[in-house]
Amino acid sequence: MKTFEEKWTAWLDGQLSGKELAEFESSLPDLAAAEVEKRDAQKLGAFLKEQLTTQAMSNEEFFSHQLHEWIARESPARHRSTSTWWTIPRLVWSGATALALFVITTVVLMSQHQPGEQSEYLTQILQSRVDPAANPNATISIFESKTDNKVTVLWTEGLQSLPADYAAK
Amino acid sequence: MQLRPLLLAAFLVLALSAVLADAAQAVWSGLVIAENVPQPAPIPPELTGLEQTLKDLFGYNQFEVIGQSNKTLKTGQEDWLANSKYFGLHVDARGENDSGYSLNLKLYKESDVLLETDANLSKSSPLVIKGPQVGSGQLLLVLVVKDDEQAHRRRHAEPANPITTAWQRLRRAIHNALP
Repeated sequence: MKTFEEKWTAWLDGQLSGKELAEFESSLPDLAAAEVEKRDAQKLGAFLKEQLTTQAMSNEEFFSHQLHEWIARESPARHRSTSTWWTIPRLVWSGATALALFVITTVVLMSQHQPGEQSEYLTQILQSRVDPAANPNATISIFESKTDNKVTVLWTEGLQSLPADYAAK
Repeated sequence: MQLRPLLLAAFLVLALSAVLADAAQAVWSGLVIAENVPQPAPIPPELTGLEQTLKDLFGYNQFEVIGQSNKTLKTGQEDWLANSKYFGLHVDARGENDSGYSLNLKLYKESDVLLETDANLSKSSPLVIKGPQVGSGQLLLVLVVKDDEQAHRRRHAEPANPITTAWQRLRRAIHNALP
């Protein structure tokens, strides 16, 4: 024997039929109000069913999204740790190339100072001349002193001698 | 973030050191009469460092400065005159290079040019020019690059620029290593 609540639930769900349905509806004090309540309950049921289904999908998608993010985070890190441009052979080649460039640059820079050329640490005489009319026999030579103070000497011979008066201050 | 002010300070110190290292220098140019006398006078202070070299080269025992100029070079483009009563040494600086100054020298006897020379005067190598015989002596022209007085004092008061010093040592080492 079903209780009223069981019959009411079954009626709301549309599961009563035949004699049982007629007896239950005749037992209701206000059938019209009960019909309204039945429609509301069906609407609520449909709404809940729809919402609960959407929520379930949303969780699924969220979980899937989280999973994809985690995989994306892990993948490049693992990739970085296992792969780098600076491998040992490349390091060796880079070092050898840098050393070769240094040697070439040094040799090129040093070769600009030709053997026999006067050192830049010494004074250089580029050109020199005396008045040939007044000093026809004059000669000029250039040398460096052998002393520590690296004196450059421009040595003239044959210049016209002058009287002692010219030594005046 | 603390690295930036540190780098800035280091840069300023290096820049200041470089400026001090390249501080103004002076070229001393002198007209000198060298002769042998029984009682030689002491050598002038400007020639003290060259005394033995001058004696060895020319064989005189006295060196008297009859005209001189001490010109501080700022741009390396200056010109100046060292005069005696009859001689004049005109020096025309035509720029500074790695080793010193490019100079044009003219020795005048009154208004006549006796000798003209173009030279790169090194900061570490004095130039001595043998001029004409004057009486029993010899006219010499001497040019020496000296540190400017203030720069000299400043350099002695402060330590040398370590980078400049290291670079000079490296250059000397490479220079000595190659044939």
